[in-house]
Amino acid sequence: MSGTDDKDSGANAFVPSRRTVLALGAAAASTVVTIRPALAQTAGSVLNCQIPVPGPHAAGSHIAQDGSLVPPGTPGAAPPMARPLQGEEARVLLRGSTPPGVDPQSAQAYANYIRRLQAGMSGFTCYASLQLPR
Amino acid sequence: MTGHRYIADPEECVQSVALDGLSVLFHRPSGMTHIVAPPAPQILEALRLGPADAGEVLARMRAWYDLDGDEAAEAVEARLEELEAAGLVSRL
Repeated sequence: MSGTDDKDSGANAFVPSRRTVLALGAAAASTVVTIRPALAQTAGSVLNCQIPVPGPHAAGSHIAQDGSLVPPGTPGAAPPMARPLQGEEARVLLRGSTPPGVDPQSAQAYANYIRRLQAGMSGFTCYASLQLPR
Repeated sequence: MTGHRYIADPEECVQSVALDGLSVLFHRPSGMTHIVAPPAPQILEALRLGPADAGEVLARMRAWYDLDGDEAAEAVEARLEELEAAGLVSRL
């Protein structure tokens, strides 16, 4: 244990090696900004949120194994899902399993589509909610 | 002047990332993120030594820093109240 000049405080206390000036500022000067993400409030409803695969912006497109959107008839591509995925189904897919009612041949493509979702795309908030710790 | 006594959560409850002059704190128990400016991180550091009121916090920080400010106790008390409102410290 070396590297600090001041060692007169408690054994494990945080002791800066050089004294620095700390401006306390005025009592009225606020120093804490709390970020309240809207997503944090959706954590409880993750099971109920939905992810259309694909979203309305790409209705009719098929989904390649890497999750990209491709024209119908592209070899190896999965057809659009007949209904939106529920949050819990998406969670299962992202773990690499196939939820009931989903074609196992298409599961990988759907999972990769979800992983590619970005802010503003239908289902993104649901996907982001799935990432939150429970 | 003896004010309210405050306590901070253990260090492992808060993930801290230092930015240029600011710190971003992720408070695991609440899932909330806070951006804090000095002297808030230093007050939290001082409180990790154990529960304290504003005067004790000030004394602990004096051991580490040259404090600059005319209304030191008042400022620390105000910051403690702010940190309490944010959920980063609690009142005993």
